[in-house]
Amino acid sequence: MLETLVNGLSRGAIYALVALGYTMVYGILGMINFAHGEMFMLGMFASAFALGALGSAGLVSVGLTLPIAILVAMALSAGFGAMNERMAYRKLRGAHLLAPLTSAIGMSIVLQNFVMLSVTKGKKDFPQSVSAPLADTRWSIGPLNISALQVLILGSTFVLMIGLWFVIQRTRLGIALRAVAQDRTMASLCGMKVDHLITWAFMIGSALAAAAGTMVAMYQGVIRFDAGYTLGLKAFAAAVLGGIGNIPGAVLGGLLIGLAEDLTTSAVGADWKHTSSFALLILVLLLRPRGLLGERVADKV
Amino acid sequence: MKPFHSKLTAAFAVLALAGCQKKADTIKIGLAGVQTGSDGEIGAAPIRGSQIAIDEWNAKGGVLGKPIETVNRDDEGKPDQAVAVANELVSAQVCAVLGHFNSGCSLPASDIYNQAGILQLTPASTNPTITERGLPHLFRACGRDDQQGVVSAAFAFDSLKVTQVAILHDKTAYGQGLAEAFKKSFEAKGGKAVVFEGVGSDELDFRASIAALKAAGGQAVFWGGMYKQGGPLYKQMRQGDFKGALLGGDGIYETELIKTVGPKADSVFITFGPDFNGLPVAKPFLAAYKAKYGQEAGGYAIYGYDAANVLLLAIKKAGTTNADTVSKMLRSQEWPTLAGSISFDEKGDLKKANYVIWTIREGKFAVR
Repeated sequence: MLETLVNGLSRGAIYALVALGYTMVYGILGMINFAHGEMFMLGMFASAFALGALGSAGLVSVGLTLPIAILVAMALSAGFGAMNERMAYRKLRGAHLLAPLTSAIGMSIVLQNFVMLSVTKGKKDFPQSVSAPLADTRWSIGPLNISALQVLILGSTFVLMIGLWFVIQRTRLGIALRAVAQDRTMASLCGMKVDHLITWAFMIGSALAAAAGTMVAMYQGVIRFDAGYTLGLKAFAAAVLGGIGNIPGAVLGGLLIGLAEDLTTSAVGADWKHTSSFALLILVLLLRPRGLLGERVADKV
Repeated sequence: MKPFHSKLTAAFAVLALAGCQKKADTIKIGLAGVQTGSDGEIGAAPIRGSQIAIDEWNAKGGVLGKPIETVNRDDEGKPDQAVAVANELVSAQVCAVLGHFNSGCSLPASDIYNQAGILQLTPASTNPTITERGLPHLFRACGRDDQQGVVSAAFAFDSLKVTQVAILHDKTAYGQGLAEAFKKSFEAKGGKAVVFEGVGSDELDFRASIAALKAAGGQAVFWGGMYKQGGPLYKQMRQGDFKGALLGGDGIYETELIKTVGPKADSVFITFGPDFNGLPVAKPFLAAYKAKYGQEAGGYAIYGYDAANVLLLAIKKAGTTNADTVSKMLRSQEWPTLAGSISFDEKGDLKKANYVIWTIREGKFAVR
């Protein structure tokens, strides 16, 4: 039972990290970024390549290479996030809502196929020298059995979320982002570079997704070009469940969906896990159409 | 635009005519199966194998005095795409199809070939339903999942002494069918399936299911699905402190699996055809494959090679490409292949399936 809870929380923490990206972009633009799942996938591949490169450069200490790989993945995905915003969203700022949505789906297909054609159409194994020691180190505390990798996932998710909260609440950038989310025209009249800030929101979200991608890559051991699709869908559901546009909501939604899936698998069977998580989503939306924490519209970045 | 359209129509008409005329001087064989996407690696192997056989026939002057032309189409492992591919091959006027790979693709595609009177020989689709529908022009050069299930269940129960097994599958026609076949045979032996569930074909995190099967008292895991998920499943079983064996069907017989589970993984047991690596007759084929594609021929490549040879030999002996005649010819006698001689029953199945248990030894697949 405890093992199931830990598994579910680890899975949920990943959903939460990716959901944050959806919710930030929605908070600022009022639009869904349908290429967000690809940022997650690019993060997986970027960290795998970074680890490969560091390994062939002679660096083997996991304590050093893993943080570097995560930072490389976050930076690369942030770059792709900025590119995505420029190409798929900025050009269509004044257009009908459906136009940027469609261009983002197009961007998602382009990125998937780019990785499929340039890297591999099958799977790629994540460097096991890094993930295996972490996954094989297990601690038993009473009935609780937890691996170092799960501690890392839960811990770094927590750190990243605190970091995001700090950026949004305490820095000039965060204040500006919240201002744009509240009233874009007013913010621009006050002299804020709105386009610039929107790019920042995409970059932060993409970087978080890339960090999540690295965790999942280590957790599953293999990576694929189409990994962003299902996970993106789940994370999107998590963002909606928590109340899209609301940051604590995205975290809560992610954890709930992760837990719902694993508890269902353990109680009823894996056949029902998607059914239960999406039934939960429908139920919540019926009772609270704005999501669990969705009523605080003023605070929506 | 109008003049352009009429030009286009005229161009198509010319092309269509050219197609008809061309049909007279070549024998067209369709090659269909998954070649991209997550089953791309394993699915490309039989098509490449078939291509090598066809190249050899062409070097010897083709069949029925005409060169053989291949029409290669990728169904992406998706049933709907397989239907599109089948329609394309029908309009390309192929006389026979070697494919598809996935059972889920062969099922809908076979109806289309059959209506068009085109012979289909699949090198890899093992779901029993495929040949149970009474299609007269459908054959397979591989065994059936119910035959795999019997071999695998007997091995688990008799040799591994497993009495309680957990069965996971990927919810596809192949994976679920194989899992059900295994369950039936295992329970007939007196064993018990403590978990039987579908995880979906894109899931890569099996920890929840592993925790559940440990709690339910499973001693080994049977995986009904492909290597892309079987590898991570085995790794996560070990990481989740579950020491039991992983059993699987021909879908996890792919060297990529060893890359994921590592060369030291010793309790992976797979049902697949007999060992061909040591056979002297297979040497030229294995060398030709490596020379042409730069990698070792996986197990499926040889199925593709054998299927193409059997088909072309039957066409040669029948003296025609007519599907009725060739089908009768295929059923009438034994056919030599690299893996021994085979013969087809009325349904189009192999009269005798030749599954054996494989395992991983020193980083390679080896017969146990």
